[in-house]
Amino acid sequence: MRKGFAILVCVLCLVALVASTAAAQAKFGLNDIPTIKNKKALNLIIETGENHTKAIPAIQEFTKKTGVQVNVERVASSGVYGKENVELMAGTGFYDLVYVETAWTTEWSDYLYPLMDLAKKYDPKKEAGLKADLAFMSPSILVCGQAYGQQMVLPFYTFDMVMWIRQDVYDDPTEKANYKAKYGAELKAPTTLDQLHKQAAFFTRKKGDKLKGQVLNHDLYGLSMQAGAYQTNDETSARLWGMGSDWVTVVRDSAGKIKEFVITKANKQALKDAITEYKQDLQWDSPGALTANFDFVVAQMGNGNAIICPTIWANCTTWANGILQEKVPGGKIGMYPTVGGHPYTGAWSYGVSKKTKNPEAAYWLVRWIASYDCAKIVFNDVGLPPGRIDVLEDPEIHKPANYYPLGMVADYHINIWKATAKDVGNYWYFNTKAGGKVYDMQIYAVSKALTGEQTIDQVVAEITRQTLDLTTKFDKKYKIREEK
Amino acid sequence: MSSQPLPRKPTIWETLTNEKNFKWTLLIPLLLLLAIFMLYPLLYSFYFSFHDWGMQGAPTFSGLNNFRQLVNDRGFLLAFGRTLEVLVICIAVEILLGLALAMMWNREFPGQNVVRGLALLPLLVAPLILSLLWNFMMDFDFGMFNQILQAVGLRKVYWWAPKMALYTICAITIWQWLPFSVFVLLAGLKGLPKDVFEAAKVDGARGWYTFRRLTLPMLTPLIMIIIVLRSMWLIRLFDPLFGTTRGGVNTELLDWITYRTAFVMFDIGYGSAMAIVSWAFTMILCMLMFRQLMKALKPKE
Repeated sequence: MRKGFAILVCVLCLVALVASTAAAQAKFGLNDIPTIKNKKALNLIIETGENHTKAIPAIQEFTKKTGVQVNVERVASSGVYGKENVELMAGTGFYDLVYVETAWTTEWSDYLYPLMDLAKKYDPKKEAGLKADLAFMSPSILVCGQAYGQQMVLPFYTFDMVMWIRQDVYDDPTEKANYKAKYGAELKAPTTLDQLHKQAAFFTRKKGDKLKGQVLNHDLYGLSMQAGAYQTNDETSARLWGMGSDWVTVVRDSAGKIKEFVITKANKQALKDAITEYKQDLQWDSPGALTANFDFVVAQMGNGNAIICPTIWANCTTWANGILQEKVPGGKIGMYPTVGGHPYTGAWSYGVSKKTKNPEAAYWLVRWIASYDCAKIVFNDVGLPPGRIDVLEDPEIHKPANYYPLGMVADYHINIWKATAKDVGNYWYFNTKAGGKVYDMQIYAVSKALTGEQTIDQVVAEITRQTLDLTTKFDKKYKIREEK
Repeated sequence: MSSQPLPRKPTIWETLTNEKNFKWTLLIPLLLLLAIFMLYPLLYSFYFSFHDWGMQGAPTFSGLNNFRQLVNDRGFLLAFGRTLEVLVICIAVEILLGLALAMMWNREFPGQNVVRGLALLPLLVAPLILSLLWNFMMDFDFGMFNQILQAVGLRKVYWWAPKMALYTICAITIWQWLPFSVFVLLAGLKGLPKDVFEAAKVDGARGWYTFRRLTLPMLTPLIMIIIVLRSMWLIRLFDPLFGTTRGGVNTELLDWITYRTAFVMFDIGYGSAMAIVSWAFTMILCMLMFRQLMKALKPKE
């Protein structure tokens, strides 16, 4: 009897071992890359910043395995579009791997290889090899990297927006009691604009006031935002999408094919409302917000100067948390969906330039960067959330000891992708060839309304005019019109 | 009968260096470089200003459309007006302050070499680096200036407030370029003839009178040169914006809006039209200044 039980245990262990090995093998890794004969070096961009530097060794693993040199150029994210656009338009092929903010994917789709075409040509498992790996990635992030249904790029790391709150402050009994006494409601992460405004007002305090029963030695702001001429449009997108609207409506026929783009009256009204709300929020923020970028928001949160960041990229969480742990003992960040639950989404991704002199190696490098092993390094060591569900579901980071912050970051992404998956593919950015140009135009336009340089009505009219103009010039595939 | 020797054919060197050709020999390399690096891009830009082009496909001729659009572009007109404002403020302050400092430093004082050496430093740092440093120093919450103000019991100042940011940009620019005016004017003061001032002193002329009637007129050509050069540089002001406001909070200037249109949105045709207007404005301004300079240099009776 005992012997029989021992055999059964052994058999079960063997089955488990085989199953786990098979599962591990299903995930693409460096060992799946066949010998690459073309050894021409590859050029690509990695953003500047200490965190991104930590990702470089993972990319160099590719060189060790394949013998193909990878030259990394460091460029600040704000300079990526301009630098790459010139090279792509001129057809120089300088960048073998093109670093793409997913809102530009459709715009650059004429200059990139569809990845399935490359899989067919270079992958021993053909398209099935690539498809098997895509199954582990977030469908909504993959959609952002598609053009007209074809997968053009694969994610390096994602930049979904999130709402940060100071969780330790929200959990403080004194603050909870004071809030309830003032507003007659529980203090919890805001899900409506009314709650956001009340809490922003509640937490905006002067030096000498108290927070968590302690006297403040600095002014405290209810909110922290980035209203400078950097990326105000992402914050506005989060507001627009949260209202169920968009910058432009993608009109489809009954078969789901795009018919045209229309800037509807509802789009214009929603934009007006979104900017009005954003401008209203600035009263609870530092004056510095008017020239701020994300680093300012991280610094405000990290230094304990702000309590809520209504719209910030979730990939900044581990960075901000690192500062907060150092500057505010006991400080803790909580991650929640932005009001309306539809934050800006997408990923910094890589695609293969049609002008590359080594498409085979470029394809495999894109695959490696988006692979489980590489994504795990980028998430665990660098803190940048990948587009891979399997990395985010790793049981190790969900253990109680490791849950904060990586497990929290992982859960936020898994949940927000589920919640927004059905809408992402219809957002205008991901369907137009004018995405990159309009994106940059919006940054300056929105910022002008926030600083008072132009009225909100003027800015809405200006964005409408320029969107029509730029889309007509740069997107010849679909017509755009304004609903008067 | 003696045969006359045939005239010798001059060598290439002799042809290049004879009295008639020498000036052209010296000028042609420079003219070639100017044609390649200045004239060609200018003409190319001129060509694009009459076309629509986004770096894709062939440019489409659009006649005067881009210029018509410019006239109605509120953003461009505002940028133009702000550029004029910056021009006037910076040049006025740099000349007045530069003159005052040059007059002060035109006398012997202990540590003069150290002071003059330190004053040169802002000119030696890349403008973009400087603008990034100023941005940090002038941050509302974390900046050095506000921390000092708070330490002495004063309120924090928002240096980048929409109504103030343009003047902050002016201040950064003036801080960097003031030494240029100071040293040009100081060199001018050092070169003034001493005998004229001694004669004036003998005749009983006092400080202000001497300054107004002797020093200033003799420095006028140098002041005009500063105005011409600074006008050209200020119309192209770009770096202080890149490291600070990026054209936000009412600080978008001509060069920034042109850069943004042509190299961020890649609307090359419209951006070229902006560049052409900016170039024409610079040329007109500089020609007017140059006439004044020539007048100032003309020996007086």
